[in-house]
Amino acid sequence: MPIVFKNISKQFGNTSVVYDLSLTINDGEFVVLLGPSGCGKTTTLRMLAGLESVSSGDILINDERVNDIPTQHRDLAMVFQSYALYPHMTIAENIAYPLRVRKVDSRLREEKVKRVATLLEIESLLDRKPKQLSGGERQRVALARAIIREPRAYLMDEPLSNLDARLRVQMRGELKRLQHQLRTTTIYVTHDQAEAMTLAHRVAVMRKGKLQQFDTPMNIYDRPANRFVAEFVGSPSMNFIDGELSHGKLINQDLSIELNNSPVGPMTGSKLTLGIRPEHIQVRRTAEVGALPARVYVTELMGNETFVFLMVGENKLVARAPADFRADEEEPVWVSLDSTKLHFFDSEGTRVN
Amino acid sequence: MHKPLLKYLALAIAVLCACVPVYWMLTISLKTQVDQFAVPPIWVFFSPTLEHFTDAFLNRSFGQYFVTSAIVASVSTLCALVIGTLAAYSLARFRLPYNLDNKLSLWILSTRMFPAIVTAVPLFLMMRDLRLLNTRLSLIVVYTAFNLPFVVWMMRGFFAELPRDLEEAALIDGDSRIGALFRIVLPLVAPGLAATAVFCLIVSWNEFLFALVLTQTDAAMTLPIGIAGQVTQYEIKWGVMSATGAVAIVPILVFALAVQKHLVRGLSLGAVKG
Repeated sequence: MPIVFKNISKQFGNTSVVYDLSLTINDGEFVVLLGPSGCGKTTTLRMLAGLESVSSGDILINDERVNDIPTQHRDLAMVFQSYALYPHMTIAENIAYPLRVRKVDSRLREEKVKRVATLLEIESLLDRKPKQLSGGERQRVALARAIIREPRAYLMDEPLSNLDARLRVQMRGELKRLQHQLRTTTIYVTHDQAEAMTLAHRVAVMRKGKLQQFDTPMNIYDRPANRFVAEFVGSPSMNFIDGELSHGKLINQDLSIELNNSPVGPMTGSKLTLGIRPEHIQVRRTAEVGALPARVYVTELMGNETFVFLMVGENKLVARAPADFRADEEEPVWVSLDSTKLHFFDSEGTRVN
Repeated sequence: MHKPLLKYLALAIAVLCACVPVYWMLTISLKTQVDQFAVPPIWVFFSPTLEHFTDAFLNRSFGQYFVTSAIVASVSTLCALVIGTLAAYSLARFRLPYNLDNKLSLWILSTRMFPAIVTAVPLFLMMRDLRLLNTRLSLIVVYTAFNLPFVVWMMRGFFAELPRDLEEAALIDGDSRIGALFRIVLPLVAPGLAATAVFCLIVSWNEFLFALVLTQTDAAMTLPIGIAGQVTQYEIKWGVMSATGAVAIVPILVFALAVQKHLVRGLSLGAVKG
């Protein structure tokens, strides 16, 4: 079902947690709310679930205003960060709970539990209690409880954050397949950009209660709307060089970069920040025309590639280099920036190209 | 090596201190009046008699007192648990404006901050006007009121320790507030509920002051009053008192044993995350 947030705000006492948020989520879409802790993403999800009241604005599910509809009548399913499995019930009872409160007859209930358990490969756990399960298994049970009925949307609040790294990647893939199978609108909250990039049809990046950008993962990565989004998405983070625009060049005390083709709106003399992702910086050990001289600060071999941390004067940069790149600390190198991949941000941090 | 020994020694002393008066009471209840006052006291070897038990429960009205005590204690405990648990849940889960929820909790507790005797005369006058003197109902009402603050504070603590996620998950799964309370929350605080119930039951069972003020007839008297009545102007009926006391221990003991498994967990509920 389509979900619309219309100018949603939320205050706790005097603190504003969500500020004038507007989002339109299409039917069947997988939307990830991404942001650092305290950005209001979880509060947004909880408002949609009805666990938190809305201070102002409207929330619509399938064109119906749900602000005043209590949680239990909103027909949503949610996976909590803590999984929130009922500790005194067996796994089968946990999964069947949404059907039990809807007074579905017990034979049908059993049948559905079995089907969902098979789908998530937890048939063998049905008679156990949550306490006897591992984190990954609990996660599956929480998912099973959510998908046993056909809710209007799935809400997921950092469902993978309590799993270890390997399991997280595995569950991430399974979640994606599951969502594609079920085609149910899903809203997923996380602070992990990898989850956002891999899972989402569209990502809503939030910061301090304000929506920064709502776009496809590719656009978020390639055309970040502002400096915050640029910095938050991507690992290692995007490099930023502060300077001043002067006759088609970006100048600061250490360097001067020719901006030949890059379209830039602001006038000569205005402050400008140049952003470039690590993979768009090429590091060479020999001098070349147009390359900037730099010193190696440190290199980190990742196995499949090497992160090269550089000093260009006082500017710290990080570049991605092939795994076989070797350089000593303080060794002089030359870096060239891919001029087609430059991002420019004005003094407020807003993208200007 | 020494440590467990010391531990058991300390435990033995504690058990001894707790058990000797009970043992003494039991022996007195079974001794003839002559043996009761023997010097030096006879600890073990005496010829037992049940005359005090028959005296108390057949010749006197202790059977009736026992029934009254049982009804008053169990009904008042039940009432206090039902009302108090609902109040505690509300106070633990819902925020009222102006921090009223905390103020309300403190106000509830404040009803226990003065000596009980302060309320004895007002309660007597109220019960007289309501024509409830010498009724079990009057005791049930007073004991319920007296136990409520205790239940509210105990249960509020247990509820507060329960993660909110569970109820929220139940709501999202489509359950109502009250459904979530009964299906999810209460089963999980059952140990706390059991511990609270035992304390309430003990307090009501042993209560003396209000029972003394509010009841004078055999029909409404509770065990503690009946026992105290055996201290008369001319003699103290040790045998009857002990026999009644021995019987009075039984219901509480049975209940405590029945919920013992819960009791230990309830008293330490929340200490360890399960």
